[in-house]
Amino acid sequence: MKILVVVAVLVVFGVLRLRRASLLAWAGAWWVGLYVLLRFGFTAPIPSSVVTIYMGIVTLAILAYVTSSEERRGDVSGPLVRFMTERRYTPLLGATIVAIPALAAANVYVQMNVPLQPPLFSRTVHPASPSEITVHDAKINLDTAENTFLHLERSNAAEYRQHVENGRRVYYRNCVFCHGDNLSGNGMFVHGLDPIPTNFTDGSIAGLRDSFLLWRISKGGPGLPEEGGPWDTAMPAWEKILKEEEMWEAILFLYDFTGQKPRAREAGEHK
Amino acid sequence: MTPRLFTSGCAVVLIGVVWAMPMRSVKAQGPYVGTDAQRESGKQLYGKYCAQCHGDKGDGEGYATPHLYPRPRNFTTGKFKVRTTPNGALPTHQDLVNIIRRGMPYTSMPAWPDLTDQEVANLAYYITTFSPDFTNPERAPKPVELPSAPAATSATIEQGKKLYEETGCTKCHGTLGRGDGASAPTLKDDFDHPIRAADLTQSWTFRGGATREDIFRTMSTGFNGTPMPAFVDGLSPEQRWAITDYIASLSGSEGPGYTNLVVAKYVKEPIDMAKGAASFAAAPVAHLPIVGQIMEPGRAFHPPTTSLSVQAIYDDTSIATLVRWHDRTAEKTGQNGPSLPVAPEEEEEGGGAAEAAGGSPFGDAEVAPGAAQPAEKDPFAEAEAPAVTSEFSDAVAIQIPSETPATARKPYFIFGDAENSVDLWFFDLAQAAPVQFTGKGSADVAPKDPTDVTGVASYANGEWSVIFKRPLRPASAAPFSPGEFLPIAFSVWDGFSRERGSRRGLTLWYSIYVEPQNVPSAVGPMIRTALSILAIELILVGWVRWRYGSRARGELGDPSRPAATHA
Repeated sequence: MKILVVVAVLVVFGVLRLRRASLLAWAGAWWVGLYVLLRFGFTAPIPSSVVTIYMGIVTLAILAYVTSSEERRGDVSGPLVRFMTERRYTPLLGATIVAIPALAAANVYVQMNVPLQPPLFSRTVHPASPSEITVHDAKINLDTAENTFLHLERSNAAEYRQHVENGRRVYYRNCVFCHGDNLSGNGMFVHGLDPIPTNFTDGSIAGLRDSFLLWRISKGGPGLPEEGGPWDTAMPAWEKILKEEEMWEAILFLYDFTGQKPRAREAGEHK
Repeated sequence: MTPRLFTSGCAVVLIGVVWAMPMRSVKAQGPYVGTDAQRESGKQLYGKYCAQCHGDKGDGEGYATPHLYPRPRNFTTGKFKVRTTPNGALPTHQDLVNIIRRGMPYTSMPAWPDLTDQEVANLAYYITTFSPDFTNPERAPKPVELPSAPAATSATIEQGKKLYEETGCTKCHGTLGRGDGASAPTLKDDFDHPIRAADLTQSWTFRGGATREDIFRTMSTGFNGTPMPAFVDGLSPEQRWAITDYIASLSGSEGPGYTNLVVAKYVKEPIDMAKGAASFAAAPVAHLPIVGQIMEPGRAFHPPTTSLSVQAIYDDTSIATLVRWHDRTAEKTGQNGPSLPVAPEEEEEGGGAAEAAGGSPFGDAEVAPGAAQPAEKDPFAEAEAPAVTSEFSDAVAIQIPSETPATARKPYFIFGDAENSVDLWFFDLAQAAPVQFTGKGSADVAPKDPTDVTGVASYANGEWSVIFKRPLRPASAAPFSPGEFLPIAFSVWDGFSRERGSRRGLTLWYSIYVEPQNVPSAVGPMIRTALSILAIELILVGWVRWRYGSRARGELGDPSRPAATHA
């Protein structure tokens, strides 16, 4: 919630209450106030179609309320009738009668001149992986596979560092152009890519298994399932260029540089 | 203290400070290079963020170096491009901080906005440890005077244009500033690596920054270790500002303004390719970024082409697409093709390094002797591009799906895939006309027969203009239908950089929209909407007045309510 917006709306409601505003002003204020709340009151924006549905409900509720008794209906229709019949309001009435069609026409103009946008297709960012892939003739079960070099972290620290260092070399010779020097997905070609390259520093790879990364790296965009949109991402199928060990080393480096750990297998899954 | 006494006290202190300032720099042992702790902290950061390109020893030989062009800076030489100090001098601490903070656009040196000021400062201090020059008192850097900017006017731009030609800027940067001067193909830096003169029409790619102040600084102090000289002594500040204004005016806009859509406009006259680019005046220009083909083996890590400008028109029978891009030299001899082989070891040489390795048609032997030592050579010396035959010609290709995609699925963006093929309109610019290929992946590109694509190409002042024309609805290819979008992608090969086959610059999929002949006008719907709402209003007001008018006149109460309750 954006506290400032909420407070502002509540203050307006409070002022109207204290000044004993007419029912028409009340109805209008509630309608506008709720719209402002829905549109601007939430930190994560609500889609406009959802706002439209909510405002439809709000409109019906307000109409139901103001017509629920003879007295309330009179409170609302009275000022409107006076506005339309009394001579002193005639200039304002004329202006309103002209302004509403003019605004509607302007809206039509804006709607018809929306800048052209190529068709957009939705895609799944982390689609489900197959259970098994073949990399350089080696079958790899993605449910059970683990980084070839991960076990060295405890048993042989020096060798482990060497593999991380190899991964660093692989990364800066191959991946840096898109994923960037600090791994945040802002490499030198990023202005020409859509979707943009993965940011490894935002924590998302901590939610993935290292075998998932091996799948994404070895098969790249062309190996994505239908829902992943293989035709748009520029992620190469690295098996064409790198050895399997080099890919595991690069994965080692990604987690090491960003200080993250691959998602642990759940207890039941352990081999 | 009386005000007078206070003022004179201040004046004495001020004079003292001013007098003491030069004394301090005389006493200093070279430029200030930070404390041991600061340099140690910088060393940690350097190991994590910088060493992979600049090398553990600061010699510019890191893991990434074989694939990078321009090469990462070798800090051991004490030569730095972007400085506020005279040509040949060391940069100031602030110069180093600025370049780390801002990076160098369109190179592999990124900006580092997320490091703290202290971290950047420590890095700058650590970098000074690679060269003994930084501790040499005689080499303490003194910034040159860079007076602030006068207003740019059409007069200063005009004066700058004249000075640009008189000063000899055209020799490297070309008549229209596209980096296509006569000497451009021969330029090398002090490390004997080929170097490209900046394309002055694309300020967003300027290594030292794109603001007027940046251009003025580069003009004044030059780029150490490159053929770009310093003009701080050769030209007055007014003259340098005038040239700066002219260069700033060449780019037209502040940014590249990349888009994702090519809009094809209908033209009544049948398209006449002999008219060239003039036919396309009504069509909007789509500026599309080029990236290196680094996905398939035979990679190009730094294509010299950074962007394409695309326009499209169609008449009753055909569609024509104009593709323009900047190229320093036109390679109109030799050959090119979408599947010419590239040896795996050539990848290691990087884009520009292949030229250095003697792979370029302009090998060392053919370069004028003076050009190899740019630091000493007269930058204004005449140098003519040697007339040699290139092995690989320039080329360009447009790619569209072979069939209009029925679903969201498009062919793979690099020459299609086995299930979804693409049509390639390929123009080897050593040939007179384009040909067509069918692509089912980079390894499966076959000639398509018959070719129904025609084209013309021309090169002038550092720019290729290539027009492709094809029937709107051929028998065996995806049709261009008014009101519809079709995926479109581009590839461009620079023969000078030995680009061919998979080694090229390319775009991802973009869209081409064939704008209907008659774009519906908004006026009709606007009038209809306005009139219908007006009618409803008038009926409503009329009804209300008829129903309540007689009772409301002169009486404030609601007619439907008894007056008593209102009071």
